[in-house]
Amino acid sequence: METYFVLLYKFLNRKMIDFGLPPLIAYPLMLIVFFVLSQYLFAKTTIAVYAYVLLALVIILSNSNRKKNEFLKSIFPQPKYWALRIIENGILSIPFLLFLAYQQQWLWVLLLSITAPLMICFDFKTNRNFTIPTPFGKKPFEFPIGFRKTWLLLLIAYYVCWIAITANNYNLGVFSIIATCFICMSYYNEAEKAYFVWIFRESPSTFLFEKIKTALIYFSLLSTPILVGLCSYFEKNILTLIGFFLLGCAYLSAFVLAKYAAYPRKINIPEGLLITMAIILPPILIGVIPYFYDQSIKNLKPLLLDSN
Amino acid sequence: MIQIKNLSKTYGHKTVLSAINLELKCGKVYGIVGENGAGKTTLFKCIAGLERHKGEIASDFDNLKNTTGLLLTEPFFFSKITGKEYIQLLANARNIKLGDLDDKNIFNLPLNDYTSTYSTGMKKKLALTAILLQKNQVYILDEPFNGVDIQSSFIVTELLKKLKKLGKTVLVSSHIFTTLRETCDEIFLLRNGMIIKKVGCEDFSKLETEMKQFTIGNRLEKLDL
Repeated sequence: METYFVLLYKFLNRKMIDFGLPPLIAYPLMLIVFFVLSQYLFAKTTIAVYAYVLLALVIILSNSNRKKNEFLKSIFPQPKYWALRIIENGILSIPFLLFLAYQQQWLWVLLLSITAPLMICFDFKTNRNFTIPTPFGKKPFEFPIGFRKTWLLLLIAYYVCWIAITANNYNLGVFSIIATCFICMSYYNEAEKAYFVWIFRESPSTFLFEKIKTALIYFSLLSTPILVGLCSYFEKNILTLIGFFLLGCAYLSAFVLAKYAAYPRKINIPEGLLITMAIILPPILIGVIPYFYDQSIKNLKPLLLDSN
Repeated sequence: MIQIKNLSKTYGHKTVLSAINLELKCGKVYGIVGENGAGKTTLFKCIAGLERHKGEIASDFDNLKNTTGLLLTEPFFFSKITGKEYIQLLANARNIKLGDLDDKNIFNLPLNDYTSTYSTGMKKKLALTAILLQKNQVYILDEPFNGVDIQSSFIVTELLKKLKKLGKTVLVSSHIFTTLRETCDEIFLLRNGMIIKKVGCEDFSKLETEMKQFTIGNRLEKLDL
């Protein structure tokens, strides 16, 4: 059983290294981000504690998929298997429990401590037959896949927008636009297999243009409800809201290009640094976008132009 | 026609393909046989333009890659994509407008389900359907019979014959010799990255016997059963 957790730890470390962050930096960073986001949630809404516990349970449940459980059952004796699952759920709930304790929500600490181990009774089928419908079927694959993985986050972004309107909080409204943009950017985080670039008939520049066009159209589609809602309520700030939306479009385009600038590997530290710099100082985008474009063309040429 | 001259491929110091010379004509089906690791998949990827290589590949097509349908041994599928969307993706890539997909679903696949719910054989059939709907001129099929049920393997066999009639160039690998015997005009034997034999249909049985003798030899006796 110890071997299993050691392997999990190694797996997590490798993931972080692949992402370009040494574990020594990644773990404290994760803790800080977790604490800041939790603090923000509790500061912004009165129903934070419910959402928080729900989120903890969703994360615990998402770690329990049938294939994995069947594999674990096949290699561990029954008592060890249950012990392992309980420990796993316990580890996942620790950060939430600690923050709830920090908030002195003792009743919820107790409730989560009891329900987290009980979650082992649920097996989540990874091969569910239900297909989440998307309006993006005409242009697979980034948006349909991304939407299916992040629909809950998008719902939260819409909910934040609604809170912004009801609480007359303009900044929160802007946050919901930015959040939608970041969610869409995450759809371009993974580098697809070479085959899925090779199949395209276009030249590298047309290929990139089409990718950006699709990203912008679908991002507009997802952010329209937020934008319309905010513009109709914060009439005085229409121009700045549109400005934020356009900035979102620029970041999304830069991110699509960053993906292919790094291709065939995943977006890593060099691209991440440039994107971060551009987020801090948006005018940098003027230089970053052409740079990513040049790199992308260079990386796509061998696959899109006939190498024979 | 596709002409492959002196094609070779190395990974570091390891030579995977060496001095491959082939001529693939339109309206013909060519088979490739060889042990695991002989270099079949690498050769397919080189011809398709997915792998860089030494040597020359010339063809009558403006851009060979753009008219080639490549079926990989283990086609890759994204986790939350439906069968229909996968086909749409491949059609979009070649600017092909698709009509009603249900009519073209020759393998009766559950196209509205996620591909992650598909079995190995279903995935193979989906990938094959997708490249067929791309209306390519050249088809490179790496083990199209692998994992598919017997009914579907009948369909795949007939498909190969149909593609041949339509004047397409087909290069296919298989570990099931009978399927190749039924469909191919010529079979190439690949061993250690080299084409060591090119055999016309009149000598397929001889090739099969030779391969059996070479492969089996006295191996089983070593087990001392």
